[in-house]
Amino acid sequence: MNLEEYKGVYVFAQQVDNVINSIAFELIGKGKDLADTLGTEVTAVLVGSGVKELADELAEYGADRVIVVDDPELKEYRTEPYAHALASVIEKYKPEIFLVGATAIGRDLGPRVSARVHTGLTADCTQLEIGDFPMNPIPGKEQKHNQLLMTRPAFGGNTIATIACPDFRPQMATVRPGVMQKRPKVEGAKANVEEFNPGFTPNKNYVEILDIVKAVSDTVDIMDAKILVSGGRGVGSAENFKLLDDLAAVLGGTVSCSRAVVDAGWKPKDLQVGQTGKTVRPNVYFAIGISGAIQHLAGMEESDLIIAINKDETAPIFDVADYGIVGDLNKIVPALTEKLKAEMAAN
Amino acid sequence: MDFTLKKEHEMARTLFQEFAEKEVKPLAQEVDETEQFPRVTVDKMAKNGFLGIPVPKEYGGQGCDPLTYVMCVEELSKVCGTTGVIVSAHTSLCCDPILTFGTEEQKQKYLVPLAKGEKLGAFGLTEPGAGTDAQGQQTKAVLDGDEYVINGSKIFITNGKEADVYVIFAVTGMIEKRGRMIKEISSFIVEKGTPGFSFGTKEKKMGIRGSSTYELIFTDCRVPKENLLGKLGQGFKIAMHTLDGGRIGIAAQALGIAEGALDRTIAYTKERKQFGRSIAAQQNTQFQLADMATKVEAAKLLVYKAAMAKATQKEYGFEAAQAKLYAAEVAMEVTTKAVQLHGGYGYTREYDVERMMRDAKITEIYEGTSEVQRMVISAALLK
Repeated sequence: MNLEEYKGVYVFAQQVDNVINSIAFELIGKGKDLADTLGTEVTAVLVGSGVKELADELAEYGADRVIVVDDPELKEYRTEPYAHALASVIEKYKPEIFLVGATAIGRDLGPRVSARVHTGLTADCTQLEIGDFPMNPIPGKEQKHNQLLMTRPAFGGNTIATIACPDFRPQMATVRPGVMQKRPKVEGAKANVEEFNPGFTPNKNYVEILDIVKAVSDTVDIMDAKILVSGGRGVGSAENFKLLDDLAAVLGGTVSCSRAVVDAGWKPKDLQVGQTGKTVRPNVYFAIGISGAIQHLAGMEESDLIIAINKDETAPIFDVADYGIVGDLNKIVPALTEKLKAEMAAN
Repeated sequence: MDFTLKKEHEMARTLFQEFAEKEVKPLAQEVDETEQFPRVTVDKMAKNGFLGIPVPKEYGGQGCDPLTYVMCVEELSKVCGTTGVIVSAHTSLCCDPILTFGTEEQKQKYLVPLAKGEKLGAFGLTEPGAGTDAQGQQTKAVLDGDEYVINGSKIFITNGKEADVYVIFAVTGMIEKRGRMIKEISSFIVEKGTPGFSFGTKEKKMGIRGSSTYELIFTDCRVPKENLLGKLGQGFKIAMHTLDGGRIGIAAQALGIAEGALDRTIAYTKERKQFGRSIAAQQNTQFQLADMATKVEAAKLLVYKAAMAKATQKEYGFEAAQAKLYAAEVAMEVTTKAVQLHGGYGYTREYDVERMMRDAKITEIYEGTSEVQRMVISAALLK
């Protein structure tokens, strides 16, 4: 493998039902930063059926070039034809870096492609930068420059690993959604589109999709939720939980509660967090009007990020919270919801 | 040293026994099954003066000594652990601190109706984060004009929701003690029905199921300044002093439960036949009963000694801790053996001993766990 031949930062622009997933824009944003450091360009790879007109949207978020692989076989995501499409793109264009969103699709696709083109892949990255490998020079060992340093949490977030792929190309990574920043949208930008079709011959690995179910689940199991908006007695009433419902809706989160709330009859028992309820480990846990007795903490203190809102500054919840606001939740929660709404709309 | 009871004690015991047999025993099983607070029994006890036994007559009580009160809790607990603890919590944990630390106005306003049994009392110290470590209080009381504003909650409060008068504890500030800042705790009298004072969860318990155990919730609850009990910052001392007395009450409850289980087991082993003779004829049964009876007697002497200490000594925490520790552990052991000697029948709810075994366990936990009693006793030994 001649590493010099490999140039450019490529990102997989995931689309479903001909709608581009926002992870594609996040990857382009990050890809631009990497490409600027390397003095190269960002190419988005758009795979699907009848997706050509989506290319301009990728340009609006900063893609310098879009490679479109358009074929009826690619109408719905299936591992085999998609892996074939990306591996063919890599073989033909020889990118230096190839990024895939760590969505359900990306986590399936990334490893297939990396095995097929025989290169390294780091999964679920939260940080990417260009740097030296090894990071600190080791006497008698060559230090390579302009390597992609891929950082990801390992062992359930208990350690952080920075990984490089010095000897093979492309350097591949799946990237956790929501971590990288989109670039501001440039209305009316036009993409420099290149069409490429490696040809698709169905083989035994072409699965047949029988049915696609789009369930809008109203009741997410709180143990599976990534974001929990949890209310305690301080919320005051069942009706007042609307404030938390609104916040959860904006964040795509789920509402949970403390035992006091269940006892008061405001929420059902299956939403209770704590020793006698469920133990949860979301990425973000909002503790709103929850004093933080140990019986509750035992059920949520492993959350990645804990944000507490309580009017009593001596409430024990603040001992475990990463961020805390002392004040009236009736004022703070709606303000927070509005601010987040505005923030989301701006992106 | 005299181990014979005085005539008035004998008479009082007869009265308690008759009441327990006639009024309490018939309801004991139903109270346990339904988890219903025995309000009818409490009203009858009030009529009989059982709710103010150690309170002086001028405050509406019976003016008896602590031993008489202990015997009342003991006799009630022989047939129903629930009824025993209702009287104990009311008398030891609510009447006693008001009698000991209250002003004359507070005594007239609160103690008199409590001692007469017109009102029922309770004691709110424990919090989710402050059990054995009572200093870990989170409930706060802030003076605002002529009122204290209380915010926080209490859990596992005996007689909760049923009681009319509550002695509760809250943090009123921080004070420096030996160079460290610690919480200043004060004590307050709060009446049921005060705005901002409500009840949360009713606990579903293993035993003493008719005893009403509730969470108390204070949300901007305003109580008049004159409801401060004792001096500002004296709360911890009041709580500890109160619990010294309360422990004698719980020791009496444990003793009663053990005696009740022993009485039933003696009767049962005489009746039950296996291998052609009563099981009481088996030497194993005889030795088990001998051990149980000896331990119960030892517990009884400790409990009565503690009651006498309360009557005659300024400090009686040591005696109370020994009595509660020992009586509670004896109650657990004796009731467990009682179930065993009843065999399979003992495990059914048709017989009383399984209920007594469930009731016994709490006596090792509440009003200071057995471990706390050992802390108190060893601290006194190693002073």
